[in-house]
Amino acid sequence: MKRRSFLKLALAFLGTTSLAAFVYPIFRYLAPSAGGERSNTLSIAKRDIPLGEAKEIVFNNIPAVVLNRPGKGLIAVSRVCTHLGCLVQYDRENKRLLCPCHAGVYDLEGNIVSGPPPKPLPKLPLRVEGETIVIG
Amino acid sequence: MWERLNNWLEVRIGVDDLIRSQVSEYRVPKNINIFYTFGFVAAVGYLIQVLSGIMLLIYYVPHPDHAFRSVQDIMLKVPYGWLFRQMHVMGSNLMIAAIGLHMLTVFVMGNYKRPRELTWIGGALLLFVTIAFGFSGYLLPWTQLSYWATTVVTSIPTAVPVVGDFVARILRGGDQVTGATLSRFFAFHVSILPPLFLLLAGFHLFLVKRIGISATPFGLPAEEKRPWTEYHKKSHVDGYPYYPRFFQMDMLMVMVYLAVMFFLITFLPNIFFPADATIPADPFKTPVSVRPEWYLLAQYQLLKIIPNKFLGVIIQLALFAVFLLWPFFDTEKEKNIMKRPMLRVLFLFAFILWVILMFWGRS
Repeated sequence: MKRRSFLKLALAFLGTTSLAAFVYPIFRYLAPSAGGERSNTLSIAKRDIPLGEAKEIVFNNIPAVVLNRPGKGLIAVSRVCTHLGCLVQYDRENKRLLCPCHAGVYDLEGNIVSGPPPKPLPKLPLRVEGETIVIG
Repeated sequence: MWERLNNWLEVRIGVDDLIRSQVSEYRVPKNINIFYTFGFVAAVGYLIQVLSGIMLLIYYVPHPDHAFRSVQDIMLKVPYGWLFRQMHVMGSNLMIAAIGLHMLTVFVMGNYKRPRELTWIGGALLLFVTIAFGFSGYLLPWTQLSYWATTVVTSIPTAVPVVGDFVARILRGGDQVTGATLSRFFAFHVSILPPLFLLLAGFHLFLVKRIGISATPFGLPAEEKRPWTEYHKKSHVDGYPYYPRFFQMDMLMVMVYLAVMFFLITFLPNIFFPADATIPADPFKTPVSVRPEWYLLAQYQLLKIIPNKFLGVIIQLALFAVFLLWPFFDTEKEKNIMKRPMLRVLFLFAFILWVILMFWGRS
């Protein structure tokens, strides 16, 4: 190999590796670190949610809703619509959860009734301890 | 004294020579019309955005606790703050309209054809960068509308399997739209997009200068209508000088642009400020009427009516690709759209569909 070709190759190699060395730091710099503070559980007094009513909560930075369904008991589901991330609202009259952005409709289990959402609303673990509802 | 200074500069910079070669002796086709001015108007629109944006930067605070308040202060307390914000907001919409009209003209004249495919792609990318300017700037006032419109748009990548969630997190700087998103969008709006725009505009102008301005396809000899197969600069030696003839047309349209801007500021100051654009962002309450600006309403409505999220996003990407690479899809030699009934029908169909989707999305 000629000296000039070798030098060209060496320069190209050094230039490429120098640039490549920045790829990972840039990627890490832009990728957000894993979520903020997370609590294990969230407690709510049972009397705060009468039958047929709902209470909006925020659990581990996720907006959610706890529903007290007549005949079916308590359930906690995420309020983040699985379509494009707007927050669903509880429609007491029709017993549904509605997304105001693209008209996604879910039942009170979080299952899709109509509209463009691709997945049901994620359920949050919930248990009742005496007069307290524990989420998480 | 003035002559000596002029000579001194002439020797070192050659301004007279530059003006002579690029302005007074630069020839444009004889059958050029007023529709050819939209590119220049868009460039002036960009200059207005830069200057008004710099004025806003002096008082704007890119933090979720202060952004809304600082924008309100610009509007209500800072002397003439309302003027610069209104110019920036109206200008962002008008600039997109100017580039859109420029592309529409190029399309109707068939001026995207060989050898100007890259000029079209450069222009289409400039339109997308301008829309990205509008979208990233939309979040900065931190209102209910801007917060939730950003939530919707940054959720679009989640339709793509495997990498979608990660891309959405990179865009937002987290799982939801937060202060991290505001910082990212602010950096994108003021320091990444401006040099990108200038780079693309430089590329676009370089091609326009290198290949020469394309004449209209109407009323030219058949020889002129055939696309070229090898490089030769279209210098229009028999054309009119750019200055003063075409420059006057450019300036007339700049005046029209400014007149429309100040008409809107004076008589329709709230046209781009619906009620939710005056309420501070609430991350726990989605307003009933979340919708983007007019130029994204058709895409927004398309996402709404297509029942499958993945399909909706794929169709948008396919339409984007067709628009960007249109010169490679339309390989017909005939430039004159009046002699191409199929293209006319296709264009009218796409345009009417876009208008219908826009008004449907608005309702």
